[in-house]
Amino acid sequence: MDFKFGEKEEKLRKEIREFTKKELPPGWLSSMLEEESDDKEWAFAMSMSKKLAEKGWLTMSWPEEYGGKGASLWEQLVYSEEASYWGIPGVTMGIGGVDWVGPSLMMFGTAEQKNKYLPLIASGEPDGIWCTAYSEPNAGSDFAKIRTRAVREGDEYVINGQKIWTSAAHRARWCWLAVKTDPDAAKPHNGISVFVVDMKSKGITVRPLMNYVGLHIFNEVFFDDLRVPAANLVGKENNGWYQLMHSLGYERGSIAGRCYGYNKRILDELIVYTRGNGLFREREIRHKLADIAVELETQKVLGYETVWKMSKGDSPVYEPSRDKVFNDHILERLAMLGTEILGGYSQIDPLSRNCKWTKLNGHMEKLFWLFLGFAFAAGTDEVELNIVGQFGLKLPKSY
Amino acid sequence: MDFDFSEDQVMIIDSARKFLEKECPKNKIRELKEDEKGYDPELWSRMAEMGWMGLILPEEYEGTGMDFFDLTILMEEMGRNILPAPFFDTVALCSLPILEYGTSEQKKRFLPKIACGEEIWTLALTEPSASYEPSGVELRATSLQEDYVLEGTKLFVPYANVADRLLVVARTSQEGITALIVDAGSQGIKTEVIPTTAHDKQCEVVFDKVRVPKDNVLGEVGKGWEIVEFLLQRVSVLKCAEMLGGAQFVLEMANSYAKERVQFDKPIGSFQAIQHKLAEVFINVEGLRRLVYEAAWNISTGSPSRLLTSMVKAKANEVYQQTCIQGVKVHGAIGFTEELDLSLYFLRTKASEFMLGDTGFHRERIAVELEDYQPLFMSV
Ligand SMILES: Cc1cc2nc3c(=O)[nH]c(=O)nc-3n(C[C@H](O)[C@H](O)[C@H](O)COP(=O)(O)OP(=O)(O)OC[C@H]3O[C@@H](n4cnc5c(N)ncnc54)[C@H](O)[C@@H]3O)c2cc1C
Ligand SMILES: Cc1cc2nc3c(=O)[nH]c(=O)nc-3n(C[C@H](O)[C@H](O)[C@H](O)COP(=O)(O)OP(=O)(O)OC[C@H]3O[C@@H](n4cnc5c(N)ncnc54)[C@H](O)[C@@H]3O)c2cc1C
Repeated sequence: MDFKFGEKEEKLRKEIREFTKKELPPGWLSSMLEEESDDKEWAFAMSMSKKLAEKGWLTMSWPEEYGGKGASLWEQLVYSEEASYWGIPGVTMGIGGVDWVGPSLMMFGTAEQKNKYLPLIASGEPDGIWCTAYSEPNAGSDFAKIRTRAVREGDEYVINGQKIWTSAAHRARWCWLAVKTDPDAAKPHNGISVFVVDMKSKGITVRPLMNYVGLHIFNEVFFDDLRVPAANLVGKENNGWYQLMHSLGYERGSIAGRCYGYNKRILDELIVYTRGNGLFREREIRHKLADIAVELETQKVLGYETVWKMSKGDSPVYEPSRDKVFNDHILERLAMLGTEILGGYSQIDPLSRNCKWTKLNGHMEKLFWLFLGFAFAAGTDEVELNIVGQFGLKLPKSY
Repeated sequence: MDFDFSEDQVMIIDSARKFLEKECPKNKIRELKEDEKGYDPELWSRMAEMGWMGLILPEEYEGTGMDFFDLTILMEEMGRNILPAPFFDTVALCSLPILEYGTSEQKKRFLPKIACGEEIWTLALTEPSASYEPSGVELRATSLQEDYVLEGTKLFVPYANVADRLLVVARTSQEGITALIVDAGSQGIKTEVIPTTAHDKQCEVVFDKVRVPKDNVLGEVGKGWEIVEFLLQRVSVLKCAEMLGGAQFVLEMANSYAKERVQFDKPIGSFQAIQHKLAEVFINVEGLRRLVYEAAWNISTGSPSRLLTSMVKAKANEVYQQTCIQGVKVHGAIGFTEELDLSLYFLRTKASEFMLGDTGFHRERIAVELEDYQPLFMSV
């Protein structure tokens, strides 16, 4: 048993803290799900991606030949924790560029695909920005029932259909697209394939969807006779489900640290804020803060456990779902407590950045108005609990 | 960072689990509920032979010199199986403070007897105020020549009915609290078992002009609360480990029941209402496990944290209780009976929650720490 980080990780922690001091405006606080909404924020995020790339941190866990540093999972965890605590924007290269597109291409891509796309992501340039199009109007949790169809014609595929909730499609240079290539497969999972699609192609329409506070996070994406070179198929035809499940493992190492760092910062902000205005002296408030502090410490060590299992070469099955559910509970509590602490001020529109009455940069309101969306993305709580029940407790399938 | 157990630790876990399953089956636990002593002296000597009482005492005191983490995982096994015996009281609540605060004389005199299983000890701290605050200590110890004279009442003293010695926390002056080692047979001590739900032999101990030689002061006069803090900040992690073991077992019981019990032609575990309940419990038990290990490891390696320990106790209190409540729900009416082993665990949760601080108590301690702490974003 050993709960200590090594020297390498501690050194990296220090470097990142120095970096944030130098590169981020004083008092900087960033929120989840926000950078793609606003042009100015997006430009700032992109400038940070570039700097992270220059540091070699953006894709640190990738092998050197693809623009990484071959960093260990523990270094990656430390980076994720710190980056999100300090709110460094631009760490993901759109939706999935760093976390799953790159790793999937490494596992299943052709040499040509690897050489083309991986350095683009690792460069931190706008040409390395991705969106991920899985969900459809009739296939959300039940993702295997997607209907968007790709049909082979010569050395091209012709794609028709619709995606929805596609985050950052309006920023992305590339789309990581899941489609049906065999609608008649005995099991729907066996008819899915993954493609790389150039967002500049003819036949793609991106229609914005606004969320209820007016952020432009996600979109509908329509495909009308979109022609994609067959060389853009990733891995094997009809093997998409298996590939996606396998590559998920890569994403997992960074998620736990990212969530913990983010939450820890919010808790710290709330502690300082309530100490400043005297609310901390109210037993009810300080006890709620204490309770959340317990949950955060638990979240931290659970996340470490997941990374530890991966570091031993195990492929965690239910742990990421466990960690996701745990995080969703924490976010909900933080959002409720944060706005309770702000009281009347929590009514202020989080997007009105310049209102003199805005507290804590509008961060608590943003959290409150965004935590539900954050909880749905990448699998709802109910679906994650199903996974924990089935694979963690070996209970029969419940649906 | 590495969460693997060492080979020795795996051995502790395996041997403890086998031993307890064999020597302390559930029917024995039920028998001991009605037993006057509340523990089985024969089992106690066998535990001593296993080296459990002296597990982390140095060899010079007949111990085996293992570390706090090793004791933590042993406690987890004891919680898993339920061990009705004054082990936590003797070893955790008394031998550890003696090891930490005792004079070499006291250590030589008392520790080997504990290690060999010859003596049972317990902590007499809480009083009718049922509080773990210093203000709760009202029992007076008045200086009289070579002795102190104790006057007052201690409440919820585990296994005082069978203890050979008591570690009594007494007020020696307006501000001063002092820990004293008291012979349980001293004149003027009256012990009565309190009818607790768990039948776990918690006692009221009345001290009527009990004389204790001044040599028996543990630590410094007037600084006895430091010893209580030592218990609150470190030893409580051992109680949490025991609670973790219990919670794990209850979860396993409920989970297997959910697979076996068929209603509406399906195992009830296939109903999402049941499955999600279990999944939430499972998540919390796994979280508690890592927290307990983190705190125990920190203590083992010499960096105990007041904040972390309080976090662990608050979490353990909540998780153990919730696990039992949800466990009963999953079982339906059978969960409401004495017959089901789950009840043995459930009925013990109140004692575990109270021991070394309930949730509100530790929440407040966490808040006190947060009040002074310097957040990272302000310190870099
Ligand atoms: C902010 C945001 C960003 C997103 N970004 C992307 C993106 O970039 N790319 C992308 O492809 N998708 C994205 N999504 C979509 C996301 O993956 C889906 O919302 C999610 O998979 C749920 O699908 P759904 O919204 O259709 O809800 P449904 O699947 O229709 O679910 C509705 C409700 O039913 C419950 N439910 C469904 N099935 C079960 C079951 N078996 N057991 C119990 N309860 C069940 C759900 O938990 C939920 O409460 C995003 C979503 C949000 C909110
Ligand atoms: C104090 C007490 C007094 C009682 N008195 C009487 C009496 O006088 N006469 C009498 O006939 N009975 C009596 N009962 C029995 C009572 O009606 C049953 O306990 C109740 O119907 C549940 O059945 P069960 O205990 O077999 O649990 P089960 O039906 O086995 O249920 C076990 C668990 O599975 C859950 N579950 C079962 N089916 C589903 C489903 N479809 N969806 C989701 N979850 C499900 C349950 O909610 C429960 O959590 C009494 C029970 C108690 C506790």
